[in-house]
Amino acid sequence: MSDRALGRVFGLHVAVIAVLFAAQFVLPPYDHTNVARILVLSVYALGYNVLLGYTGLMSLGHAMFFAAGMYGAGLPVYYLGFGAPGALAMGILCGIVVAGLFGLMALRTSGVAFLIVSLMFAQAFYLASLYFNEITLGDQGLILSGKLAALEFGGTQVGFHEPALKYNGALLLFAVCLLGTLVLRLSPVGRVLIAIRENEERTRLLGYDSFRYKLLSLVVSGALAAAAGATYALLFSYVGSTFASILFSIYPLLWSLLGGIGTILGPLLGTAFMFYLVDLASGWTSAYLFVVGVALLVLVLWFPRGILGTVRARWLPWLP
Amino acid sequence: MSFGPHLFLALLEGTVTAFVLAVTALGLSLVFGVMRIVNVAHGEFFMLGAVLASLCAGLVGSPLGGFLFALVAAPLAVGAIALAADWLVLRRLDYHPEGTIVATIGLLYILQQAVLTFYGPDARPVTAPVYFRIEFPWFGYSGYKIVVAAISALLLAATWWLLTRTRLGLYMRAAQQDLEMAQAFGVPARRVYAIVFALGAMLAAAAGVLVVPIQQAHYLMGLDPLLLSFIVVIIGGLGSVKGTLVAAFVVGWSDGIVSVFFSPTLAKIVATLLVAAVLVVRPSGLFGEERA
Amino acid sequence: MSALLETRALSKRFGGLNAVHEVDLQVAPGEIRALIGPNGAGKTTLVGMICGRLAPTSGRIFHRGEEITSMPPWERLKRGIVYTFQVTSIFKGLSCYENVALPAQRKLMTGIAARVALAESAVATRVQAALDSVGLAAEAGKQADQLAYGHQRLLELAMALAADPQLLILDEPTQGLAEAEIAQLCDLVRTIARKATVLLIEHNMDVVLSLASRVTVMDAGSIVAEGTPAEIAGNPVVQKAYLGR
Repeated sequence: MSDRALGRVFGLHVAVIAVLFAAQFVLPPYDHTNVARILVLSVYALGYNVLLGYTGLMSLGHAMFFAAGMYGAGLPVYYLGFGAPGALAMGILCGIVVAGLFGLMALRTSGVAFLIVSLMFAQAFYLASLYFNEITLGDQGLILSGKLAALEFGGTQVGFHEPALKYNGALLLFAVCLLGTLVLRLSPVGRVLIAIRENEERTRLLGYDSFRYKLLSLVVSGALAAAAGATYALLFSYVGSTFASILFSIYPLLWSLLGGIGTILGPLLGTAFMFYLVDLASGWTSAYLFVVGVALLVLVLWFPRGILGTVRARWLPWLP
Repeated sequence: MSFGPHLFLALLEGTVTAFVLAVTALGLSLVFGVMRIVNVAHGEFFMLGAVLASLCAGLVGSPLGGFLFALVAAPLAVGAIALAADWLVLRRLDYHPEGTIVATIGLLYILQQAVLTFYGPDARPVTAPVYFRIEFPWFGYSGYKIVVAAISALLLAATWWLLTRTRLGLYMRAAQQDLEMAQAFGVPARRVYAIVFALGAMLAAAAGVLVVPIQQAHYLMGLDPLLLSFIVVIIGGLGSVKGTLVAAFVVGWSDGIVSVFFSPTLAKIVATLLVAAVLVVRPSGLFGEERA
Repeated sequence: MSALLETRALSKRFGGLNAVHEVDLQVAPGEIRALIGPNGAGKTTLVGMICGRLAPTSGRIFHRGEEITSMPPWERLKRGIVYTFQVTSIFKGLSCYENVALPAQRKLMTGIAARVALAESAVATRVQAALDSVGLAAEAGKQADQLAYGHQRLLELAMALAADPQLLILDEPTQGLAEAEIAQLCDLVRTIARKATVLLIEHNMDVVLSLASRVTVMDAGSIVAEGTPAEIAGNPVVQKAYLGR
C-alpha cells in the first residue's frame, strides 16, 4: 500500500475515534453509557473478527475468552483488592493463557470440528463458573462497585462511577484495539493470515507454518476479547456467568456479520446496530431474541458481506 | 444405600439416558453424514417434540392416549417444520457449511422464542402414560423409564432397517459415500437431503416426546440434548451409526455415574472434556471416516 | 558431482494402490530435468513428496546431502524448494499483487519488527520483478480469478519466482497456454536455470526436447528409463509405456 493510501486509511480510523471522542459532549445521558458499553463490546467483536474475518476460523466459544478476562480482572478486585490497572493486566493475561491452551489443543481440527470443540470448551467453562458458585456467585454475579479504588490523574481522583471515566476508558480501549488491529491487518503477518483464510495449503507451501500463525491469531483474538471482558467488569462493575454463555458467544458472530466480516470498522457498526435493535425489541416483548434469530437468517441469506463489506465491494475497495 | 446399589441405579439411569441420547444423536449424525452440515437447531426439534407432546396431553383425555397421539403427531409436525426450513433456507444456501451453521443458529432462536411466546416461559409437567414401579431390593424404579428405553431401542432398530433394507436408505448411504457418483447413478440428491433433514428432526422430536414425562417441557430444554448429541457424534465419529450408538452409551453411563455420585453439572464438564481428549487424539472421532 | 536432490526407495501407498514404488532419483545442480510419463504414472505424487505436500509411506529424501524426509513444507521452501501446482492453486479472491507479495515478503520477515511493519517498497520491488518476468506487470491490481486461465498459470509461476527458488518444481506449466506463451515460458525457464535447478513435469514433447538436459520417464509408479532427450525419444520402452497398454 502506498504511503498516500496508508495515510488515508489511518486518517479514516483516527477520524472515527475523534468523532467518538467529541460525541461524549453532545450525547444524552442514556446513550452516554450505552455508547460506552457498545465501545467495549465492539472490541470483543473486533477480536472475533480477527479470527473469523481475517484468518477464516469460525468459533462458537469466544465467550470463554471474554469471561476469562472478566473473571481474571473481577475476582482479584473483589477478593484481593486489586487496583484497576493490575486487574486489567491480569484479565488480559488470563485471556492469553486460555486462548493459547485452547489453541494448542483445538487447532488440530478445523472447520466444523473446530467450531464444535470451541462450543464444547466454552460450555465447560460456563458450567465451571456455575459449579464454583461460592467464588463466582454464578448467574447472580459479583458487584464490584465500591470495591474498586478510584484512579488518580495528577492530583485529582476519578471514581469508577463517573460517566466520564466509563466513556473515556471505553474509548481508550477501543482506540488502542482498533489501531492495533489495523496495524496487524496491514502487516506482513496480516497478509499471511488472510492467505491462510484463502488457501491454507498454498500458504504452507509458500513458506509459512500455518499452525503457528493460526495460534497467533487465536491468541490475539482471545486477548482482545479478554481485554473487553476485563474492561467491562471494571467499568460496569459486574461480573457474572451470563457472559460465559453460548448466547454471548453468538453475539460477536452476529455483530461481525452485520457490520462486515473482514473489515476493521465493521464490528463497531454491527455491535452498535444490534445493541440498539435488541434494546428496542426488549421494550416490546420478552421474546426479543427472536430479532437475533431473524437477523442471522436475513444476513446469511441475502446480506453475507454485511454493511461495510458491501460498501467496500461497491465503492471503497481500499477499506481494510 | 451402599455403593453397589448406588452404582446399579446410576447404570439404570445411564442406560435410559443412553437410549434417548442415541436416538437424538442419530438424527444429528445422519444429517451430518449425508448432508455434511451441522444443524445447530437440532436441540430445538427435540424441544418442540416435548412441547407438542405436552400440548397433546392437554387435548386428549387420557395420558396414554395423549402419549400415543403425540408419538405420531409431534414427529410429523416437526418433520414438516424441518422440510420447510430446508426448502426455504438450507437449499438457498446450497448447504454451504458455515452458512448453514449461521442459518441454523438463527433458526434456533426463532423456534425457541416462538415457543416462549406461544407456550410461555414455565416448565410444564406431563403425566406419564403408564405408571408402574419395578421394585428392586434396594429401591423402586420408574417403569415408564424402562418403556422409554424400549421404545428408543425400537426407533433405533427401525432406523437401522431403513438405512440397510430400503431404497431410501441405499440412497442415503450412497450420498454419504460420494455425492457426485450417487447423482450420476440417478440418486435424487435434493429430495434425499430434504428427507434426511426431516428424518433427523423427527428422531429428535420423538426423543422429546419420550422424555417429557420424565423432565418437564420448557422452551430452553433444547440446549442440553444438543450439546450431548454433539459430544456423542464427535466421540462416535460424524456419520457413523455404530459409533453413535457406542458413544451414546459411553456418554450416557458416565453421565449417569457422575450425576448420581457427584453432580449433574460436573457430569457435563466431564463429558465435554472427554470430547476434547478424543478430538485431540483423533480429529475425526473414534469411528469416523478420515475426511479425504 | 553430488546430487542437489536425491530420493532413496521413495514410496507412496494409498490403500491398496502403489502410486510411487521405490523410486531412486538424483537431480544434479543446475540441470533442467524433465519428468514424463502417462497419466497416473505417479509424477505429481513423487514431486508432492519432494516438496512436502505428501508424507512418504517409506523411503528417504535428501537435499544437498541433508535428509529432509520429515521436514515440513515451509522449511523446505526456506531451503529453496518451490512447487507450482498442476491444478492452479492461487489466491482467487486476492489481487495479483497480493498473490505474489505473500511469497515475496518471506525472506524480508526477519525479527519481530519486520513482521509487524515492513516497508512496502521492499516487497513491491520484488513483486514487480516477478510479475515483469512472466509478463503480468499490467495486471498487478486485478483480482486473480478475473484472469484468463493461461494468465493464472503465469501468476502461479510468478509466485514461485518471488520465493527465490533453488530447486523449482514445475508441474505441467504449459497446460492451457497458447503457442506464444509457451515459447515465452521456455525462455523464462532457461533464464531461471542459469541460477537454479529445474524439475519439470511435462506432457508437451516439444517443450521437453527443447528445454531438458536429462529426461526421467515414469510409468505405474516406477522409473522405467532415464537419459538425454534424444535417447528417450528413441527408446522403445518409453514408446510402449505411452502407447501400449
